[in-house]
Amino acid sequence: MPHLHELPHLPNIAFPPREYFILTNAGKPVFTSRTHVEDSSDDLTSAMGLMQALISVFADDGDKIRCINAGRTRISFLLRSPLYYVCVSSWREPESVIRVHLDYLHQQILSVVTASQLRKIFERRNNFDLRRLLDGTDGILHLLLSRLEQDVGLTTGSLGAVRLDHSVRSKAGDLLVPPKDLRDVLYVLLLLAPCLVKQSIHPSDLHVLLNTLSAPSLSSNSAPSSSSWLPICLPKYNSDGFLHVYVTFFGGKSEAIVDPSAALPPTPISGSDGSSSNTSLRSTGLLNALITASGRHGYSTNDLGVPGLRHFLYKSRSHVQITMPVWEEPYEIPDERKRLITLYQCVHDALHARSGQAQGPLKLHFLRTEKEIVMGWVTQPFELIVTLLPHLPKSAVVGAANAVAKWVKKEEGRLFIRDAPVF
Amino acid sequence: MADTGDASGSTDKPIQVKLVLLGEASSVGKSSIVMRFVNNEFHDNKDPTIGAAFLTQKCRFEDRVLRYEIWDTAGQERFHSLAPMYYRNAQAAVVVYDITKASSLDKAKSWVKELQRQANPNIVIALAGNKLDLVKPASSSGDDSEPSTPPATPHESEDEADDATATPGENPASPGVESLRQVPKEEAQAYASEAGLLFFETSAKSGEGILEVFTEIAKKIPIEHILSSTRTGSRGGAAAGGRPADGAVNLEAGGARGKDACNC
Repeated sequence: MPHLHELPHLPNIAFPPREYFILTNAGKPVFTSRTHVEDSSDDLTSAMGLMQALISVFADDGDKIRCINAGRTRISFLLRSPLYYVCVSSWREPESVIRVHLDYLHQQILSVVTASQLRKIFERRNNFDLRRLLDGTDGILHLLLSRLEQDVGLTTGSLGAVRLDHSVRSKAGDLLVPPKDLRDVLYVLLLLAPCLVKQSIHPSDLHVLLNTLSAPSLSSNSAPSSSSWLPICLPKYNSDGFLHVYVTFFGGKSEAIVDPSAALPPTPISGSDGSSSNTSLRSTGLLNALITASGRHGYSTNDLGVPGLRHFLYKSRSHVQITMPVWEEPYEIPDERKRLITLYQCVHDALHARSGQAQGPLKLHFLRTEKEIVMGWVTQPFELIVTLLPHLPKSAVVGAANAVAKWVKKEEGRLFIRDAPVF
Repeated sequence: MADTGDASGSTDKPIQVKLVLLGEASSVGKSSIVMRFVNNEFHDNKDPTIGAAFLTQKCRFEDRVLRYEIWDTAGQERFHSLAPMYYRNAQAAVVVYDITKASSLDKAKSWVKELQRQANPNIVIALAGNKLDLVKPASSSGDDSEPSTPPATPHESEDEADDATATPGENPASPGVESLRQVPKEEAQAYASEAGLLFFETSAKSGEGILEVFTEIAKKIPIEHILSSTRTGSRGGAAAGGRPADGAVNLEAGGARGKDACNC
C-alpha cells in the first residue's frame, strides 16, 4: 500500500551555511566551521560554554539532549564523550541527516587520534586542549563538511563507483593484487577523481579515507616521483589502531592508488615492490583506458529516454553503491541542488523511518512540490528515488521508476563494482 | 626495473641516499625546501603535510650520481612517534627551523639530539635556518649584515638595513626587515659546529642556499660505505638486508620502536 503524501508548498528557501562545533565535555573548543574566528574568539568560547551547560543540564538528569528547534533553525547535539558535536542548520533536513553529519565528524576525528588514545588522554586530563593533537587537521574537517553538503553517498551510507566496462575493471583488479611477498596489505583501492574503481571496505571508513586523501597537501605534491605514507585510523575497521596508507598519484591529477597496510612500515617505493601495480597499469595501457573512462563517467538522464525524468538516485543494496546521472537543469544551480538533495534526504528518512516515524518504514514515498515530483521506492535489491516534472500523473511516475530500474539492471556491470579480488 | 645486484660501484649507476627532513610543525618550510629542490617550485601558503611524503631527486656530484630518496615528514606532535620509521637507515637528515621563530630552533635541537642518539651513527645531519627571504630584501649571498642593494624581489620594499645582531626585543620600534629575525646566524652556527652539523641559512622562496644543502651533504656522505652495503643487501636505502656491521643493530631497534609507536 503506497503511502501518499502531498507537500503543499516548500517555499523557495535559502540555504545559509550550516555551522558545526566540536567541544570537549569540559567545554573547551576543539573545532568550529566558522573560518573568521579571529575577530570573535571570545564569542566562540562563550557559545561553546553555553552548549556545554545545556548538555550538562540534561546529563544531570541522566538524559541526553538531541536537538533544539528554534523557528526554522535546529540545533542538534551528538554526544560522544569526551567530545560533543553540535550543528546549527536552517535547511529543514531531517534530524537524522544531521546526526549522520556529526557522526562523520566524529569518525574523522577518530581517524586522526584513535578512540583509545582519545579515551586515555581525557582519563588523565579532562581539561586537555585537543587542538594541540589535531594541529593541521582543520583543512580535512572543512573538506568533510563541504562533502557532506554535496555527496549523497555519505548520507545514504553508500559509495559511488566509476562507470567502467566490466572487463577493464576486472583487469585493473587483477593488477592491483599485491605480490605474495608483500604481506600485511589489507586492501588496495584505485581511485579516479573521487570515485572508486575497486573496493572492499566499510563505506563510512572509505568516506573518511577519501576525505583525508582529498587534502591538498597530498595531491599538490603530485610530482611524478612523489608518494605519501600516512597513518590513519579507520574507526569501523579498528577504532584503536592506526593503519599505514600508501598513496601515489599518477597519470593525471586525481588518480590514486591507495594501499592501507596494517603493520607494514613505510618502505621507499623505488621502482620495484609497491609500484609494480603502478608500472603494470601503465605498461598494459590500462591506465589510459581508465583515464578515458573517467572522462565518460558521467551520464545524462536523457541517456535513459524516460519522459519527464529529471534526476534519480539508485542504490544497489547488495553492493552498497549508488549511481546517479550528472546534475542537470535546473539542478546545476547550487541552491536548487541543495533543495533537491534535502528532498532526497526527506524521502530517505521517511522510507527508513529514521526519525522514528509512527507508521514505520515505507515502501513508497511520494512528494510533490511546485517544481518537481520526488518519489522514493524500496525493494529487496534496490532503493530508488526519482525526480520528475511536476504535473505528471502518478501512474506516469511509477512507470518512470520502473523504466529507471530496468535501465540500471541492464547497465549494472558497468555501474557497480560487483566482485573485487580477495587476497 | 632497478636491480642493484650488479651495481658494484660503477659510476653511472645512481647511488641511493635516504634523506629525511625533520623540524617543527607550523610551516618552518620542510616541504617547501623539498619542492624547491625537486621541482624548483615554490607555493605560498602550503597546507600541512600529513604523515610523510616520499620524493626522489637525482644529484650529480663529481663523477657520481646520487639519487636522493627524500622523506618529507609532518612536523605535528602527533606524528612524532612515527619519526623513527623515517630516520632509521637514513644516511642524511635535514633539520629545519625558521629563523623568524626562536622556538623552532629549540625543536630542531631536540630533533638533532634524537637523531644522534637513535639514528644511524654515520648519519650526516644538516641544520637549515629557513625563510631567509623574510629578513633579507635582496638575494645577495653570504654576509647578511649588509643588505646594501635595493630589493630585487617584488615583495615588500624594505629599505632599512639593520644590524644582523639586533634582536627584536632590543629594537621593537624598528620596522626594518632584520627585526623579523629571531635567531641570530652566529648563534645557530655556533650550535651547529658544536654539535657537528652542516649549517645553512636558506630560502625555499627565493631558492637561496637550497642546492648547497644537498651538495654539501653529498660531499660529506661516506659513499664507499653505502656502496659496500648495497652490494651485499637487497636494495639501497630500504629496510632490512644490511650487514651486521655498524648501523644494523641500531636500525632493528629503531624499527621495533616504530612499530610499537604506531600500534599503541
